[in-house]
Amino acid sequence: MADPTGGGRIRTGIKVLDDRLGGGFSRPSTLLLFSDKPTEKRLFAENFAVEGAKAKETTLYVDFYRVPSLARAELARFGPFAQDRLVFVDAISVQLMIESREKYRVAKINDLQDIFDTIIRAIRTETPSRIVIDSMEFLADRFPKAALLEEWRNLISEAQAIGSVTCFLFINWTYQERDLELLRAMSDFVVEFQSSMRGGIVRNSMRISQMGEGGVRTNWIPYTFRDLIGVTVYFPRIMVTGPFNAGKSTVVKALCEKSISVDRMGTTVAFDYGSVNITGIEAEIFGTPGQERFEFIFQIFAREVSGVLLVVDATRPEDFERAQKMLALIGPHIPYVVLANKSDLKGALRPDAIARKMELPEDTPVFATVATESQGVREALLTLAEMIIGVK
Amino acid sequence: MGDPRFPANYAVLLAGPPGVGKFEYMIAQARDALRAGERVVLVTLDLHPNEVRARAKALQLDLEAYEGRTFAFVDCYSATASDRPEPQPGKRTFVVSSFSNLEGIGMAMSKAAQELGTPVRIYFYTISTLFLHNSTQAIAKFFQIVTSRAKMNMGFILYAVHDGVHDTMTMNLLRSLVDGVIEMRFTDSMDHEVRVHHMRGFQVDTRWRPFVQMPDASGGL
Repeated sequence: MADPTGGGRIRTGIKVLDDRLGGGFSRPSTLLLFSDKPTEKRLFAENFAVEGAKAKETTLYVDFYRVPSLARAELARFGPFAQDRLVFVDAISVQLMIESREKYRVAKINDLQDIFDTIIRAIRTETPSRIVIDSMEFLADRFPKAALLEEWRNLISEAQAIGSVTCFLFINWTYQERDLELLRAMSDFVVEFQSSMRGGIVRNSMRISQMGEGGVRTNWIPYTFRDLIGVTVYFPRIMVTGPFNAGKSTVVKALCEKSISVDRMGTTVAFDYGSVNITGIEAEIFGTPGQERFEFIFQIFAREVSGVLLVVDATRPEDFERAQKMLALIGPHIPYVVLANKSDLKGALRPDAIARKMELPEDTPVFATVATESQGVREALLTLAEMIIGVK
Repeated sequence: MGDPRFPANYAVLLAGPPGVGKFEYMIAQARDALRAGERVVLVTLDLHPNEVRARAKALQLDLEAYEGRTFAFVDCYSATASDRPEPQPGKRTFVVSSFSNLEGIGMAMSKAAQELGTPVRIYFYTISTLFLHNSTQAIAKFFQIVTSRAKMNMGFILYAVHDGVHDTMTMNLLRSLVDGVIEMRFTDSMDHEVRVHHMRGFQVDTRWRPFVQMPDASGGL
């Protein structure tokens, strides 16, 4: 099957995620977009659909909740795309008893057979490379489980026959754990979603697990939505820390287009802050003061931190003990990379020597950086982002 | 009316037969909260937001004066009507596409609370409508999750439910999942009465009292 995006893979459009997935989801694949509480997983599905239409791939969107005219209006916030590439199966107009002008529309909403016949007719006619079913819980709440599972399986094989990547949205209101096991086993990937509210702000994250032995598995990846861009990976808190005068504020400045520093006579006494947006990753960067007397600030920021950029002065091995102590304060489960800063200065230690002296675990990334020249800092952040996302 | 202000982080069910004045009771609560500078979200499944605005105005609550600042709608009604409203500038309405989309309703409530800021008082009118479109099992789980989310992260939530249209088991289930229950009824002479059935953690006077629908000039019920 021809695939204009290359490599026979279907991109999510979230670059750092596609990189981790070796270019996207392989064709064909079945994805279960799952949660057991209300989340914003629809954003991922919509992003996935629009990404297809943007790449001129035919995408089929089966909607049980929104009339297609409303869906089209809402999808406009993902930016412009080829409208004719996005084909709807209208399964809502019949519920509202309104007229549908869509080519594919469900006629009998109480007839499981009619619903699936309509979807499969659309699949066979349009041969889409992407399919979104929004949502399976609508059917799970209305039809007997055995009959639904049989149709569900049949739909999967129809979609696989034409090489589609199919997303089934599903929030579990009514099924038991053993039923969920079945659904997972029917899928190639399970994408789990969480939305939580902290301090009055909704935070979203997702985790991708490839079913079967040796499958890829990511950590929980925080994400957000931006108008006209779509879903981006978003780290609400990346901490830049390290001993006094290692160049932390300079690292924050080098990473962020705009940053602010609360400082006194050139040394940071409260914190540095900036936001960064590179290759599909957004992050809020917080720099802490290095001096021990400001440790209380450090401990405030260390809460809920996604990852840490530990900055050390490569010319001052006498400060490494302090840096080690800071790592201990952060705790064992937070990913970090070390920036061997001022590496252009005379007497600067090389990254491997620093790793040895600091007794870092073997695979800890150490980057030689010159923050004043913006050298090495972006690479360090990207590596950290990949570590946070993780693939196991 | 002598009701206590409901505490924050608390969930209440308002039960009564259709037409008894549940909507008026909620609007009176919302009005007091808004006048006290609190934030309010109204989740409407049964009425178009314009109708809510008009009926609230008749009860001396001008919602439009608060909209976009301390008041927002979660509108689960108009997307299912054939004439969908255009978004109005300065008024933040969170539209949910369908009564069946329970997940969408749950998230719209969180996002409305995020937009206004927390704590917030949420009024849900009515939970009964959900039963026309979803299984009791699905609604029970939705109700339990949304209630605990509201109490933990958003503040206060009051659900209106029509009495006499659900079976006893369903009503008992809903009652068991909230902290307090307010009941309304008609008397033999078709007057309206209200009482606090119970409030977890509070000593309450459970006697029936008359419920007067039209507010007097000072705005008290």
